[in-house]
Formats: sequence, C-alpha cells, structure tokens
Amino acid sequence: MTTLDRDERPRENDLLSVDDFIGDEEGTDASAGRGLPRTILGWVTTTDHKAIGIAYAVTALVFLAIGGVLAGIIRAELAQPGLQVVDEATYNSVFTIHGSVMVYLFAVPFGFALANYLVPLQIGAPDLAFPRLNALSYWLFLFGGVIMLAGFLSDGGAAGFGWYAYPPLSGPLGSPELGADLWIIAIILTGTSGTLSAINIIATISMMRAPGMTMFRMPILCWNLFLTSFMVLLAFPVLTGALIMLEADRQFGTHFYDPGAGGSPILWQHLFWFFGHPEVYIVALPFFGVVTEIFPVFARKPLFGYKGLVLATLTIAALSTSVWAHHMFVTGAVVLPFFAATSFLIAVPTGVKVFNWIGTMWGGSISWEPPMLFAMGFLVTFVAGGVTGVMLASPTLDFHLNDTYFVVAHFHYVMGGTVIFSLFAAIYFWWPKVTGRMLSKRLGQYHFWMLVVGYNVTFFVMHLLGRDGMPRRVADYQPTDDFETWNLISSLGFVLLALSFVPFLYSVVSSFRRPMTAGADPWHANSLEWATSSPPPPHNFTWLPPIRSERPVFDLRWVNHRDVSAIGTSEAWTARQEHDKDVLPMHPYTDNYDDEPTAGARPRETDGAS
Amino acid sequence: MRLELIVWSGLTLFYIIIGAIYWAVDGDAAGASLLLMATGLGGLIAGWIWHWRRHHDHPRPQDRVDGDAIDDTGIVGVYPTASLRPLALGLGMTAIALGVVLGSWMVLVGVAVVASQVALLTRDADQ
Repeated sequence: MTTLDRDERPRENDLLSVDDFIGDEEGTDASAGRGLPRTILGWVTTTDHKAIGIAYAVTALVFLAIGGVLAGIIRAELAQPGLQVVDEATYNSVFTIHGSVMVYLFAVPFGFALANYLVPLQIGAPDLAFPRLNALSYWLFLFGGVIMLAGFLSDGGAAGFGWYAYPPLSGPLGSPELGADLWIIAIILTGTSGTLSAINIIATISMMRAPGMTMFRMPILCWNLFLTSFMVLLAFPVLTGALIMLEADRQFGTHFYDPGAGGSPILWQHLFWFFGHPEVYIVALPFFGVVTEIFPVFARKPLFGYKGLVLATLTIAALSTSVWAHHMFVTGAVVLPFFAATSFLIAVPTGVKVFNWIGTMWGGSISWEPPMLFAMGFLVTFVAGGVTGVMLASPTLDFHLNDTYFVVAHFHYVMGGTVIFSLFAAIYFWWPKVTGRMLSKRLGQYHFWMLVVGYNVTFFVMHLLGRDGMPRRVADYQPTDDFETWNLISSLGFVLLALSFVPFLYSVVSSFRRPMTAGADPWHANSLEWATSSPPPPHNFTWLPPIRSERPVFDLRWVNHRDVSAIGTSEAWTARQEHDKDVLPMHPYTDNYDDEPTAGARPRETDGAS
Repeated sequence: MRLELIVWSGLTLFYIIIGAIYWAVDGDAAGASLLLMATGLGGLIAGWIWHWRRHHDHPRPQDRVDGDAIDDTGIVGVYPTASLRPLALGLGMTAIALGVVLGSWMVLVGVAVVASQVALLTRDADQ
C-alpha cells in the first residue's frame, strides 16, 4: 500500500456509504424488527439464527440480573459481621447459585448469543448450518436454567456445595436434598446445549463461508468462536459424564466418588477441572473476540498482528486443556511442576493478545464512543486479573491464597470483568445492527464510569481481604478479624455497580422510542455484518461485497481508491461486471432450476490458496 | 480446507505430545485418559476433513483468495421454516433428565416425546 499525497487524499464526499450499495428494500417496515418473528408462536417456533441469538442474549441478561440479585444478597450479608440477611444454609445456596448462574447460564450462553447472531453475518452465510439443532440448544439452555433456579422452591433449598460441587459434599450423604439433584440435572442440560451449539458453530464456519472469505480473512471474533467451540467439544462432554456419574452416586448407589467404598473424590476434581479450566477460556475467548472487533474500528487502524492473534488463540485453546490441575495444587495429589509450567506458559499467548490490542490502538485516531470505552475497561480489568492469575499459578503462593478472597478477586477480575465490560462493549457496538437504532453516547459514558468505579471498588478490596486471610464461602466473620472496613467498602462499591445499570436500561428503553435510522454502517466498521441493512433481512444478505481482506466493508467504502482498498477489490468488481455481461444474457429465465441465469461461474485461471 | 486440516491435525498432535509428557511425569490415569480422548476428538475432525478433501473438489470458492460471489452462485442452502420440533424435543429431553430425580414415569413420557419428535423430524426432512 502506498501513501497518498496530501492533494490526492480523498475528500469526505468521495467516500462511499454502505447504504448506497444496499438501497431501499421493498416492504421495509421501519417500526418493526425486519425479519424477526412478530408473534409469540413465531418466537417459539423460530429457527432463524438472529431471533435465536436475540433470545439467547435476552435470556442470558435475565440470568445476569438474577445472579446480580444473588450477589447483592451476598454483599449485604458480608457488609457487617454477624448474620443479618440470611442464615448459613441459605447463604450456601445463594453463593452456589450465584456462581452457577453467572458461569453456566450467563457468561457461556452470552458467548453463544454472539455466535448465533454474528457468525453467519460475519462470514456471509444465510444461517447457521443446523438451524433446528440451534433452536434445540436454546430450549435446553432455558429449561436447564429454570430447573436450576427451581431448586430455591424445593424442600431444603437450592444446591449449597459451590459451583464446582466437590464430592463427598455434593454426594448422597453431603447434600441429600432435592435442590442438589436439580442443580446436577440443570448443568447436564445446559452442557448438552453447549455441545450442540459448538457442533453447529464449527460446521458453519468450516463449510458455509462466503466465496473469498478464507480462514485468514475471517474476523477474529469468528476465529475465537471457532476455537471456543472446539474447547466446548473437549470440555462439556467430560463435565456431563462426570455429572452423570455423580447423579448415579446419588440415585443408583454407585460409588464413583465415595472414598469409603473405593471411589475417589480426586477423580471428580480431575474431571471437573478438565472441564473447568477450558471453561474459563470458553467464557473469555468470545469476549476477547468482541474487543478485537472494536479496537480497530475506533482506533481507525487495521488490526495489528492478525495472524499473531489467531496463533495466540490457537495456543490458548490447546494449552487450556493441559492446565486443569492448577486448581488442585492444595490437594497434594498432582504434579506441581507440570501444571505450574503449563499455567505460566498460557500467560504468553494471552500477553501476545494484549500486546496486539495495544499495538492496534498505538498511534491510532481513537474516538471514545461507548463501545471503545467499555473495551478499554475490559483491557484494564483483564490485565489486572491476568496478573493475579500468574501469581496464583505459582504453587507456593497458591498454597497460601487458595480458598481466600484473593482467588475470588482474581476470578471476578478475570472472568467477571472480562465478561461484563466486553459484554457491554458488544451491546453498544452491535445495538444499531440488531435494532437499527443507536444507544445514547452520553448515557453510555455515565454507565461506563459508574461501572468501572463500582466494579473496581467492589472487587479490588477483595485482594486485600484475601491477603489478610478471609476465607471464601463463609457467611460470617468476627469483629476481631479486622475485615469489617474492606467488606463495607466492597458492599458500597456493589451498590454503585448495581446503580450503573440504571443509565443503561434507560438508554435501552429510550432508544426504542426513536426511529430506525442507524443505517447499515453507523460506526464505519470493517467486518461483513455491516454490509447488510440494520436489522438484517431474513437470511442476512441480498448482496455481498467482494471479500479481499479481513475488512471487506472498509474496502467497500474505499472501493474507488485503489491504493486504500485491499489489493484485488477493483479486479473483483470488474470480474463481476464481465460475468454479468457474458453470462446473464445467455440464459434467459426458465422454470427449470438448472437453467437459472446465475448458474455460470467465473473460469478458474489462477489457483488460489486452498 | 487445507488450513482447517492443519489446525485440527496440529491440535491432535499437541494432545499426543502433552498427553505423553503428562503420562511420563504423573502417571495419573484420569488426566491421561482425558488427554487421550482429546486426541481422539481432534483426530476425528481432522480425519473427517481429510476424508472430505479426498472426495471433493478443492480449493472451494471460500478457500480461494480470489473467490467471489460469482464463483458460487445458485442455491446456497435449503433452510427449514419455523418448527415446533426443537421445543418439543427440548421438553422431552428435559423430562428424561428430570425423571431420573422425580420419578421413572417422567422418563417414559420423555422418551415417548423424543421418539415421536425424532420420527416427525425425519418426516419433515423427507418433504
């Protein structure tokens, strides 16, 4: 690419707008979601990936609200020494379901929401490969979630053994109540749902990309979802199997995890963490993908180190299945050097990612729209969480800090912070695509600053509490423990964190009162979903731009400037015109499918990469 | 499909190596068999792609750097219309899972629902 002289630089009105290419569609109803079901029956029976994606996102956000209320109960209980809000058994249920809802029912499904909505749009496909399987995944996720929460209504309350359900506590003697069974069934169902979704995503990305969309031209988000799906395939069936064994222990009298009869509780820990550690990357990688989409758009620069990012993701995906026992250092039953070494190793590709994100922004012309603000918030919290992760990967430190609030702080930074900030970055970024309307910039800024302050106040002090030895998962502490101040600060921070949702909700509600005027490409973004109208029509595209780089929509806007758009873009346009001129008149329209005018293909003169 | 083949074969190879190292340093059967299954899973996908490449033209338009919409025109895919089957199947599977806890009659209902829906789904697909 050569640099243009100052005089040759294109003026603003030289630039094309994506809307010029799409044109007005007939039958566009500006007041209704285009292509989305309009009746309840329509929503229940839909197999459209966009409708299911929206259903996933809304359901996941409802679970976020439920998990948030449970978090509020925890923070209210811990604000002062003594038991004020709930008793110990209820507290156990509350933190168990808080963790389970956030991990299994909010974070992972929101990743699938992104995959459902965006993967076909970003690779230029009309839908996912198996639309009905996709709908089945959604229903299993929803039913699983409802069953888990139904535990609160059962005798003995919901499961109270923590989100990783160590036997013998989760076994027939440790938790005989029905809520524990419901929890296990719920996770089996959501795990099955995740496995089915993963198959769908891998098949879609492998087989349904648009012509010209090679693997190395896919948006990083699609790469991340692709490799996330692989990790889901590795991890979720292991968890489902382990849970079926646990349920057999509880219902049918087997002794897989019963040490009294020759079983092994350590086996559960191996199986669970073989799922559990890929799980944190399954949660995180889609959200890494989100910010990788956002940084280049708002820094007005191409992505720095595309293949490095792909390789980093690949390395994370591979290594993530060989670090599981760093959660089991304190059992004394694992080889410490192996798992410490692999855990340190996985920090390297993660560092590469952070480096590339900063490289993308370096020297860019950054505009602080809400998506960019939230993406920066993600970067800060994620790096803070990653650093404590490296600390915890060292067995000597882990022996001291394991099962203290330090781990809670680390986990909430690296999972909670990553997900929440990146989630809102995604919502502010793709809201115009999904709804055709913009969210308020000013309210987005209020939302961001309240969230970033509230979040860090709530969770940063937990590092200090953990360092001072406050154990996790206890409802009470003594005034003499010296934990009061930090706990009170943390709880006050949570109030601010919760209040930050007010400007967001107000912004969402008020955006629906405005007309759908966002247009196809409001951010001047890069990837293919911006080349179709907002919201996209059924089956996504009436027309596709040539794909000659990883940012086809950028090339489209700059198509008249050969030095700026990707090499080959102009040639593709010429080839299309030649094709239409040569092929179309030769085949008049007939009723016979084989004679349809679009059947002819361009002769293959050059062999591209396979 | 070449890149896909490289990715999946590479992952398979990685699990063979890391599994061997793990088995050598730890000897823990649970972790080693999990890594063995991971190898199998990667190998399954890699093998399928390898098989696919033997029986299909490649490069496909989506693998060619000079591919464009005119290379792959015609019918892209046939998509199902709205369907109640996924919801019914989901309810049936939920009933089977819940029946383990709440009573075997529920499992029977679930199996009946799933079987009937799978049969109907096959009929849908034939049309």
